[in-house]
Amino acid sequence: MHAISIRGVTKRFPGVVALDDVSLDIERGELHSICGENGAGKSTLMKVLSGVLTEFEGQLWVGGRLARFRGTRDAESAGISIIHQELNLVDQLSVAANVFLGREPTRFGMLAERRMEDATRELLAELECGFDARCRAGELRVGDQQLIEIAKAVSLRSDILIMDEPTSALTEAEVERLVRVIERLRGRGVTILYISHKMDEVFRLSDRITVLRDGRWVATKRRSETSPREITHLMVGRDIESASESGRTLGDVVLEVRGLSLPWPGHARGWRLRDIGFQLRRGEILGIAGLMGAGRTELLECLFGAGPEPPRGQILLNDRTVRFRHPSEARRAGIAMVTEDRKRLGLFPRMTVGENITICNLREAARATVLSRRREASMARDTVDRLAVRTPSIGAPITALSGGNQQKCLIGRWLLTKPQVLLLDDPTRGVDVGAKAELYRLMDQLCRERIGILLTSSELPELLTVCDRILVLSEGRMTAEFARGEATEQAIMEAATRGAGPT
Amino acid sequence: MSAVERDRAGDRPGRRGWLGFQPNEWLLACAILVVLVGASVADVNHTYWMNPRLSALDIARQTAFLGIFALGAAVVIIAGGIDLSAGSMIAFSGTMCATFLVLLAPEVMRNPHELIDGKLVARPLGAAVITLAVSGTILIGFLVGTLHTWLITAVGLPPFIATLATLVGLRSLSRAVCESVTQSVFQAKSTQIQIFDPTFRYLATSVWIPMLIFVVLAVAIGVLLRRTVVGRHLYALGGNEQAARLSGIHTSSVKWLAYSLGAVTSAVAGILYIGDQSVADPQTLGRGYELNAIAAAVVGGCSLQGGIGTVSGTFLGALFLRCVIDGIAKIIKTGADIYEGQIVGVVVVIAVAFSQWRTAAGRGRQAFPGVMGGVAVVTLGLLAAVLAMLMTEQIARFVPGAQSLDPRGTGVAFGLIVAIGLAGWKFAQETRR
Repeated sequence: MHAISIRGVTKRFPGVVALDDVSLDIERGELHSICGENGAGKSTLMKVLSGVLTEFEGQLWVGGRLARFRGTRDAESAGISIIHQELNLVDQLSVAANVFLGREPTRFGMLAERRMEDATRELLAELECGFDARCRAGELRVGDQQLIEIAKAVSLRSDILIMDEPTSALTEAEVERLVRVIERLRGRGVTILYISHKMDEVFRLSDRITVLRDGRWVATKRRSETSPREITHLMVGRDIESASESGRTLGDVVLEVRGLSLPWPGHARGWRLRDIGFQLRRGEILGIAGLMGAGRTELLECLFGAGPEPPRGQILLNDRTVRFRHPSEARRAGIAMVTEDRKRLGLFPRMTVGENITICNLREAARATVLSRRREASMARDTVDRLAVRTPSIGAPITALSGGNQQKCLIGRWLLTKPQVLLLDDPTRGVDVGAKAELYRLMDQLCRERIGILLTSSELPELLTVCDRILVLSEGRMTAEFARGEATEQAIMEAATRGAGPT
Repeated sequence: MSAVERDRAGDRPGRRGWLGFQPNEWLLACAILVVLVGASVADVNHTYWMNPRLSALDIARQTAFLGIFALGAAVVIIAGGIDLSAGSMIAFSGTMCATFLVLLAPEVMRNPHELIDGKLVARPLGAAVITLAVSGTILIGFLVGTLHTWLITAVGLPPFIATLATLVGLRSLSRAVCESVTQSVFQAKSTQIQIFDPTFRYLATSVWIPMLIFVVLAVAIGVLLRRTVVGRHLYALGGNEQAARLSGIHTSSVKWLAYSLGAVTSAVAGILYIGDQSVADPQTLGRGYELNAIAAAVVGGCSLQGGIGTVSGTFLGALFLRCVIDGIAKIIKTGADIYEGQIVGVVVVIAVAFSQWRTAAGRGRQAFPGVMGGVAVVTLGLLAAVLAMLMTEQIARFVPGAQSLDPRGTGVAFGLIVAIGLAGWKFAQETRR
């Protein structure tokens, strides 16, 4: 008997068939990965399985019984829990309160706090969590918050656990811990459905791998019988060439940083960044590696004048000292930054594709502050054409685009300001494989146009393929610098976890 | 997609519909017509039908008054903020304008009338005095807007709190200023300042001047929002403040503009109101008007989450509110102002609920879920009964042939009908699932 049988499931949204006659069996106790590009229907399928979407065509069998979920509660009582990519926690409540949210144990009609905390502590110990049940959820790091959700699923005694891109915000160390937790859950016979873009994880963990494309089932393969290359090929429907760095030549130093420090008052470490120094040349891609919290984003924000306070030390742009108090000053000087969290820090969700592209450069489309529609539209259209953004029109809402195309719009927004230095903060996060390759090609092309690029990424393989040099940050300090060819994942991880030592 | 198609779509980045109006704005325009037709039928004198010009002018004038400060409220809402102080700002600006008049021309204000050829005639204040007082008042509007911006951006208060403080504070300050100035100039403490100057009163009692002011402001703000760089920045700020800052937009300057426009438009309305009422009475002037302004903006399609809204929508929202209020006043001859609050409340709920219903998220939602839904059905039934009872009482008094109507019986019957209808709806929705 299968843990889950999906029989001919079709789900239509207005104008889109998100799932098209998908049939799939999940065996009891296996770890089954679901792969596919953004928009392939992975998340829709998971929403059907977890009772988030209740209306669809086709049948769903769970544990040999036909399931008709009317909500997530029904799915939970059938033993299915889901850990969403965007976590569903109440930041203001304690860990224990979050684990028991909606099913709090009571005693004489009052909350049984002690019982919740004890039960939660037991769960946390089992999951190797280094935090207490009384911590507020909002104070924890993303990786720890995710473990709260897992603890919740464990406490529900779910025998089927769905994980939707669980590692997209985790550091390498946290990924390792998650892998250990997954192994332990599997030891208890829990069936796991694992959704991920990351081939190395998929191939490390899975028993079987299913590929979806454009809402259709493409293939289900045993791990032992396939290769990452084949799976990627099945996902995209074509081969992906890697970015070519050959024939790029470096120019003069465009950006130099000397002794850059950013104080962190009230924190034991005292510094967010300490004594950072490096040079960036025209036509160079300089990678910045480091765990979450190592100071990657803070470093880029300092260079862009977007930090909460001005940094100490010197920043030189074309050999001239600069000091930005606001992103607008950085923009005028020729520095552009594409921020890490697209939805929160980058997009204007209520605006069109065109409006999102031109927002930084409106003055060029205006005469005496009055906008020329024609000039604005031509600016947006040029960008859409140049970056090959796939959009029905520049008047389409930005939210209708896929993650990769949204990211292209944001990069296009900044290219319109004709930057000399481009700061890219984890630009491929949440972007599918095909679009990633396009972004790498775009970076290469920009380098040939003499732009210097500073790139951070949460994925080491990405830095290793794209960058000419890689700096490693650990707890706000620079602990290593590698040239292309010298760097290996192991060497970078070693430098990224190296303690900063006494101040 | 062909290049031509894309070009055409690209020329309209603002997603405008037919004739530049969005679909919900057309719906609102239809709703206005329905209200006008309904009111002219239900009104025993059929005022709208018998005297269309006068009725239109009256509604236009009232809409202009409301529209002026609703525009300011809309700009603030589009920028992702909220200005609760509009009503108090109207009282404060009215009082300050009167105070300036008293200080600039104490003699005329003390003895406002003189005998000419045996007739009592209002003494003129003079153009210079009025110009100075009006510009001073508008400057004060700008200063209050600046205060709001400072409280929000530099002190870090949420807009709700900052403008709540001025909502409470400015009215009390107006009263204190009024008493102090009347005491020191007239040697008689008073809670209001009378204004009789003919020019000044003409500003507001005329139909065309308030309308002209409104139209000029509407066009200016419309161009600002839709055609200028800073207008786009207002939408960006309301849509995503963090992203706006990281795009190099000076968010504090944009907020400064929004809150200044909010306060200045209220100041302009305040000046017109004291002319209209020929008195500056800080206790009653503009009381509760902040909510009318917000209601007009929201009914007109502005989103309280920011980033969405238009001048045309706000205008239609204001017009709709005024038509409903005016229509009720035509049907019930006296004391219709008692019903104004109820009407604004009901209209806002219906309009916003309707626009939510049209979105995909709102459609699948149950109207009266569970026990709470049941109690809500009872509440709405009771509310309907009370309203029907009050209305029948009025109608029985004014509509000939309707004297025999029993208000209590009608109220109970109407309430029951509403409750049974809603309960049926609840039941139907629950069985369908």
